[in-house]
Amino acid sequence: MKTQKSKASYLAMILFFCGAPGFSAEIAFERDPSLPVVNINVAFKTGAVTDGPRKSGLTNFMGEMLLRGTRIRSKKQIELDLDQMGAKLDFETRAESIILRGSVLSSQLEPYLKLLSEVITQPSFPEIEISKLKGEISSVIQEELGHDGALGNRAFSKYLFQGHPYGNPILGKISDLKKFNRTEILGHYQQLVREPLLLVVGSGDASAERMNEWTKLLGHSLALIQSKQNLSSSALSVTPPKPATRRRLLIVDKPDRTQTQINLGQIGILMTDPNYFKLYLGNSALGGHSFSSILMQEIRVKRGWSYGANSAFRFGLQPRSWLVHLFPASKDTPDALAYTLKIVENLQKNGISAEQFEFTKRSLINSSGFIYNTPSKRVENTLLEKSLNLPQGFMRSHADRIASLRRDEVNQALKNFVQPDHLAITVVGTAKELKSPLAKAAGISEDLIEVEPYDAE
Amino acid sequence: MTKTILLLSLLFFSGCSSISSDQLSSDARTATQRVPQEILPLSGSFKVNRIQFENGLRLLVVEDHSSPTFAYQTWFKVGSRNEVPGKTGLAHLFEHLMFKESKNLKDGDFDRLLESAGAEGENAFTSRDYTAYIQEMPATQLELIIKAESERMTQVIVNDQSFKTEREVVQNERRFRNENSPDGIMDQELFQLAFRQHPYHWPVIGYQQDLDSMSARDASQFYRTFYAPNHATIVVVGDVKTEVVRDLVKKHYGSLVSQPTPEAIQIAEPNQTDPRRKQLALNIQVEKLLIGYKIPGFTNDDMPTLDVIQNLLTGGKNNRLRDALVETGIASSVGSYDFEDRDPSLFIIMANLQKGKQAGKAEKIILRQLKQLSRELVSSAELQRAKNKSQFSFYQGLESNYEKAYFLGTYESLAGHFNAGLLHEKRVAAVTARDVRRVAQRYFQPQSRTVITGVKK
Repeated sequence: MKTQKSKASYLAMILFFCGAPGFSAEIAFERDPSLPVVNINVAFKTGAVTDGPRKSGLTNFMGEMLLRGTRIRSKKQIELDLDQMGAKLDFETRAESIILRGSVLSSQLEPYLKLLSEVITQPSFPEIEISKLKGEISSVIQEELGHDGALGNRAFSKYLFQGHPYGNPILGKISDLKKFNRTEILGHYQQLVREPLLLVVGSGDASAERMNEWTKLLGHSLALIQSKQNLSSSALSVTPPKPATRRRLLIVDKPDRTQTQINLGQIGILMTDPNYFKLYLGNSALGGHSFSSILMQEIRVKRGWSYGANSAFRFGLQPRSWLVHLFPASKDTPDALAYTLKIVENLQKNGISAEQFEFTKRSLINSSGFIYNTPSKRVENTLLEKSLNLPQGFMRSHADRIASLRRDEVNQALKNFVQPDHLAITVVGTAKELKSPLAKAAGISEDLIEVEPYDAE
Repeated sequence: MTKTILLLSLLFFSGCSSISSDQLSSDARTATQRVPQEILPLSGSFKVNRIQFENGLRLLVVEDHSSPTFAYQTWFKVGSRNEVPGKTGLAHLFEHLMFKESKNLKDGDFDRLLESAGAEGENAFTSRDYTAYIQEMPATQLELIIKAESERMTQVIVNDQSFKTEREVVQNERRFRNENSPDGIMDQELFQLAFRQHPYHWPVIGYQQDLDSMSARDASQFYRTFYAPNHATIVVVGDVKTEVVRDLVKKHYGSLVSQPTPEAIQIAEPNQTDPRRKQLALNIQVEKLLIGYKIPGFTNDDMPTLDVIQNLLTGGKNNRLRDALVETGIASSVGSYDFEDRDPSLFIIMANLQKGKQAGKAEKIILRQLKQLSRELVSSAELQRAKNKSQFSFYQGLESNYEKAYFLGTYESLAGHFNAGLLHEKRVAAVTARDVRRVAQRYFQPQSRTVITGVKK
């Protein structure tokens, strides 16, 4: 079992980390001249959890508005200039970070950086664009109702987190976003787009020195703007979500389904949890990236019940989620749910076998080089490490940490973590056919099964 | 590209490249006859070693030592185009069976062998014209993957039990991609209505009744006909030495015997003489529109211009259809795709409407925009922006080992030589405003139009 080690050190690549003197802004840029393209991510360590009550979607809305006009350029002019440069620039909202993701042909780097600075420091939030964006996002939310996978994810998050901000949809609810006005969007921008939260991560055909210099200037501009505002500089703070007190099941009722979307899970762990690597291995054996995982073998290969069956953690500054996902035919859904619950119960009770442990351990160690084998993956790792306050190099440490694990400690961690009696279960399907058999499959009294129409907010 | 274990089969890809068939096939034949190994430029400092073996197997190697990993892809010139009525979906179903038992590997051993060695992104996909098997490996595992892939090229055993289970998995995939997806249903209807004779008429995943009636014997027959070294191209990109790859491929594939090339598909689709349309009542909240125009096969000289048109209509941030539909509050999103298929295929325009807006209104606006494109010359600035978008996409599509291998495999399978993709980019750069007008006039004719609208049930 050999550990894969990156050869990046002997390439002509430079990785910079610097906090500019007097500023909190951070930058990490990796030079990669193999193609004439530069990838730049400008992130702020804050996110959708700051939306606030009845303001779901506000962070995403504010971020999208950054690209819809500055004091100098209209939305159309921004778009024309980006296209002229051969460049991309999009906004991504996560629960605890927001990111302007961009790429540009290296020959156009300077005008691109100028535009990027302008978008970040001088947005104009025009009323007409606010009105248009409300219509567009509302329609995207409506359109998503046609996609059962997206519907299932949205319903599961809301159901699992029971009112905690982690359960709020990133795009928001239509009833909330209808009420947004320019004043609160501007106020949210001032709260979120600030120098102390700034993080620039990129790679490509540019010099690290140039990117460093640009980040310093951007941080300086933001600090200057903020000095005129009276804002506290506290870092993002999120309260931990509360675990459920019993097993629950929600049917998201949609007519004419020949297939369902099952999500089941519980509150997860932090990546800094002492049990993280043990549970990482345990989860990989259950349903990680493998056709040989327990779920894929039992649900797909042996029974043909679902095209896919997997399990995964989602991480945040607080414990987020651990979930199992499968999408069987409606006719097989009760059996597939019952069997999946049995697998989860067995995982908690007996852990993984010696063979499963050895196979998964070997596989994870041997494939660990793929965690950081390209510049874009290394960029994503840095974003994750910085936004979740992980130690530098955490993502690269997986192979060494996994190599030291023993089966008994993995199984003990699974025993302590997995809570089959407190799972949240959501099923997107046709309720009239499924309610009774699903209650039986989940071992929940039928009158405790919750049903909500798929088009409810 | 994010790895997802759920996507065993990506049924089809959209794209935007093509070139003259005469030039390509002639270049390829001449090169093969003159030298069994060529060294040709790809992009930047990357070179392609293109090797032809005596049994007809083609090997392409690109060395990139920036990380100790490599992509290994095997492309077969077989897709749903090679099926016959009553056996639709066989190419894709067989793709699934390639992961089953073979002469020296029991069911599941192929996956376990590769995963244990650290394979990443082990997957496959089937299109109308080709099928590809893909994975990335640690650099130390070159011979392992070559040996395993050479075994399954000709030694797969199709038994009744694995056939039946995998057919059920494919039925579930069909439920996922088509039956329960409004976009999947509309896409299937579009091709079904636009084509009446040609195999592009049916979906790659096949019809349910055909899958139900298929047997393991059908699959075995299909395998013997289409899976042979002379129908395949292997692409290896990453931390490898060309000579080592060449020698190991020769060692493990060299004894495989070439097979007669199946008779080429000669079914010519009758000329469409009238516009066609269909309205579907779906479980959706906002209306959807899909328009398809007949376009030539990918080797036609007009394809680079259609690529430019695609960028003019919906490429980048600012484009004609976004201006006309999204900025005016009629649609929430709009897109277009010029399918690069071997035979004449479709130029597709899709729109998701905003709440309360009708697909018919969007259709009228789109037709007006197409008419304008066929009457007025596009300005040089707008034309240049469209070309810049294309150039940017081209470079972005070559970033990782996987992407380089995908690019090479696609054009080797479709055109017989990867130079097709490179020449396409050169031709895009030479497209003029008059070309755009001429090509728009030629292909955006009412009689070659097929329209599918999705309305709320």
